Amino acid sequence: MFERRLYHHVDWGLLMAVLTLCGIGLAQIYSATGGWTSTVETQIYGILLGSVALLVCLSIDYRSLADKSHFIYIAVVGLLVYVLFFGAVRGGARRWIDLGVFNVQPSEFVKAALALVLAKFFGESRRGALSRVDLAIAAALTAVPLLIIAQQPDLGTAVTLVPVAFAVVYLAGMPVRLLGVLAIVGLLAAPVLWQFALEDYQRERIATFLDPEQDARGAGYQQIQARITVGSGGLWGKGFTEGTQGQLRFLPVAHNDFIFSVLAEEHGFAGVIVALGLYLFVILRSLEAARLAKDRLGAYLVLGVLASFTFQVIYNITMSAGLAPVKGLTLPLMSYGGSSMIATLAGFGLILNVRMRRFTN
Amino acid sequence: MALTEDRRRIAVRLMVLQVSVVVTFAVLAISFWFLQIIQHARYQELAENNHQRTLALRAPRGVLFDRNGKVLVENRHSFNISIVREHTKDLDRTIRLLADLAGLDVEEVRQIVDRHRNEPTYRPIVVIEDASLSQVAAIMARRLDFELPDVVVEQVPTRQYPTDALAAHVFGYVGEASEAQIGNRIRTGSIIGQSGIERIYNDLLMGQDGARRVVVNSVGREIRTEAEVPPKEGRRVQLTIDYDLQKAAEEGFRHAGFNGSAVILDPRSGEVLSLVSLPSYDPNDFAAGIDAATWASLNTDRLKPLQNRAIQGRYSPGSTFKLVVATAALEEGIVTPDFRVNCGGGAPFFGRYFLCHLKGGHGLVDMRHAIEKSCNVYFYTLGNMLGVDRIHKWAEKLGLVGKTGIDLPNEQESLVPSTEWKMRRFGERWYAGETISVSIGQGQVSVTPISLAVMIATIANGGTRVTPHMIRAVDEGGGWKMATPPAVADQVAFRPETLGALHDGLWMVVNAAGTGGRARIPGRNVAGKTGTAQVISNQGRQAARGSGLDLRDHGWFVFFAPKENPEIAGVIFGEHNEHGYLGAPIAKHVIETYFAKKEGRPRPELTPKPAPALPEADPDTAPVELGAPVARAAQPAAAPGTN
Repeated sequence: MFERRLYHHVDWGLLMAVLTLCGIGLAQIYSATGGWTSTVETQIYGILLGSVALLVCLSIDYRSLADKSHFIYIAVVGLLVYVLFFGAVRGGARRWIDLGVFNVQPSEFVKAALALVLAKFFGESRRGALSRVDLAIAAALTAVPLLIIAQQPDLGTAVTLVPVAFAVVYLAGMPVRLLGVLAIVGLLAAPVLWQFALEDYQRERIATFLDPEQDARGAGYQQIQARITVGSGGLWGKGFTEGTQGQLRFLPVAHNDFIFSVLAEEHGFAGVIVALGLYLFVILRSLEAARLAKDRLGAYLVLGVLASFTFQVIYNITMSAGLAPVKGLTLPLMSYGGSSMIATLAGFGLILNVRMRRFTN
Repeated sequence: MALTEDRRRIAVRLMVLQVSVVVTFAVLAISFWFLQIIQHARYQELAENNHQRTLALRAPRGVLFDRNGKVLVENRHSFNISIVREHTKDLDRTIRLLADLAGLDVEEVRQIVDRHRNEPTYRPIVVIEDASLSQVAAIMARRLDFELPDVVVEQVPTRQYPTDALAAHVFGYVGEASEAQIGNRIRTGSIIGQSGIERIYNDLLMGQDGARRVVVNSVGREIRTEAEVPPKEGRRVQLTIDYDLQKAAEEGFRHAGFNGSAVILDPRSGEVLSLVSLPSYDPNDFAAGIDAATWASLNTDRLKPLQNRAIQGRYSPGSTFKLVVATAALEEGIVTPDFRVNCGGGAPFFGRYFLCHLKGGHGLVDMRHAIEKSCNVYFYTLGNMLGVDRIHKWAEKLGLVGKTGIDLPNEQESLVPSTEWKMRRFGERWYAGETISVSIGQGQVSVTPISLAVMIATIANGGTRVTPHMIRAVDEGGGWKMATPPAVADQVAFRPETLGALHDGLWMVVNAAGTGGRARIPGRNVAGKTGTAQVISNQGRQAARGSGLDLRDHGWFVFFAPKENPEIAGVIFGEHNEHGYLGAPIAKHVIETYFAKKEGRPRPELTPKPAPALPEADPDTAPVELGAPVARAAQPAAAPGTN
């Protein structure tokens, strides 16, 4: 299955960049949680398990995986439904399956599963432009897990599914005109959504974002603290484990949602540029894999996986600088979180897979 | 071919995505550059404000010692419990929880916090001063649970005064600086001297507050100390006060059973050995912030415990003033000590008849016996010969005009009238008849106990008007340095015959047939003079009867000892004690203590109070003008003391 010659086509640069980001994240978790804590250990297990997942996703030809994508999709959605009724509750949300040793968050795996099933759906050899039926099916495939996840509630993760669908549909040839129409519809729907679809706390978060000072003690607190954390880092930062904002817990969940702020504080603008550079390298390198893909299925798959990753990276980093409303969106590869780490590394296994097999039949 | 078309479309769209990603990342990089480089200074400061907190470390005030090195006033540790609002999310909850834990009224705590609402949020608002240990324990336990992160417990030095309010009026008290007092080294919340020595030597005693910059985490817990400027304790100050004499004088009053004042000086230097004003207050009540109820009761008390009678009470000096008239007459050369006057129980001056206190009269008396017997007629005669201005002149030389200049705040001026004074004050000329009352210390003469102490000290030392003072030495940080004593206010060398007559007369008051026999100490040659300060004229007494006011006379006793080379001099003022001689035992106790201490013998103790003796005849309690015999008739017949 894993032929020896394929070994030479693995994108080692991408792999190294991904693992380097994992290492940086681990170091910042060590710093933010104040030393060698169980959190650090859990993250290491996450990286190790993720590496295994990456190897597995790399080994199996992506085309065979795509052939079974509907099973995978159904299985993951099934897990989501299971979680909805029997999942473990933490912090008021039902997102986890308790496996005793650790908890699994199925919603993290939906992204890859959705990318697979959409890639397979659009990648089937066909001619001509996309039909409305195609778009409707894609929308439905996305909407089902999205709505279930939103019920947990985990709006953050739910929203990351939208870029997956858009990226694949866009690459599959959706007319740009249609994009414009969707954008206008979205804008018009915003007030309605504001009124009916959002919970009070969500409305508050957005209002706070627009004027953080109005509620400096409440929701605006995190945003102000995030800016202070980043801004006080300066050019070279305060030094590893020397950041006052993260160390003294002025910034909440520093090892999770705000890991990038901690990095910015302790390693300054220099560290930020290195991390941003690595992420940019990873994204561009993956786009390269999409371009080089042997077939449309490969290109769609790469882009589907990459879309949620890129969206999350950009959103989280913007939020880390206090420039976006605070949302429970983690930074892939760096933030603490086992399920997210495993799912993300598995996703990169798929991307590497596509590139590695660009010459095979 | 559709497939190539597909490929081209994919390539183009991937390119679009590529460019978008690069642009987005560039925007992100610029944002971070903006935050981290351009606005760095601002955020740096905000981050520091976040986690650094500067705590004031209150400097202990300088310790006060007595002249023998005994500690009089020191500092103890007390705990203040404060709210720091800086990171408070729910102030009301904090107030409720704190009040509940400390057993306080929620409204009261809220009012305290409201009073400081406009101050910067990082400045602690002190809610409980001098908290009890159980309050501290309750708060600390909750702090560990992160329940009260915005409540801090600070250890602060607090003034500790002697028990029984000893020498309260000497020390004064401390309190928070008022708006008007802020400036120089005094800031909002500074504890400064508000009265007494604490106030007048505040600059020496205050010390320099320190500061500690600590790192706190987001729930306000201190992580570590970043920098510390230790507080500098105030200067140590040695007073001229002698603890044992102070105690002896206060015991004397307590034993005698009346209030009043005493000032004991070293007549050679003007050092104040003891200064008493009763009733007094407990300065410890002020040390950690006085509560409103105590403050109100001190202020409304009819006995005025906050008034320092020694320097602020002004009373008529009565017969003690005869010493001024005697000095004036002798020094002006108007008479010699052998000048005799025949006292027939009264004498007419300017058409009015002025009484002596002895109905039958003293007969022919010279200066010495006139002082011994306190003969009014003799001094009426001298006063008449002198005129008011020369009396005023010598009163001034003896320290009875204006302030003595003691190092205590708010001293009142003593007053002895003169023609110039009357013209200035009332626009009227002086009538010679008025001089007659003045010459026995009545009329418009009104003096403070401290000024009478200066008078007797000046007579004791032969004419040097010393400035009473209470600071002896200061530790400027490098060991004790003697304080420069204040310059003498005036110096006249009395003629030997003046001194001889005065000292003999005063010795006879105590040791012969005078009124001061209760101060007699064998072998000590105590000299003294009693006096009575009328609270109200006899006519006024009739009118005021039943008003509930205490109209009984005040009694004076001025003294020095020993007669030759006096070492100790002073005044005992008994408030409403009616008789000057009742102050003499207090003086005796003080003098005995002085010599016992000097000679290393055990200090004398006052025996429990004997049953009240029958009232004795008091020659000082005498009506002056005609028309008073009604009141006088009630008095027992005057007779020389038998002791």
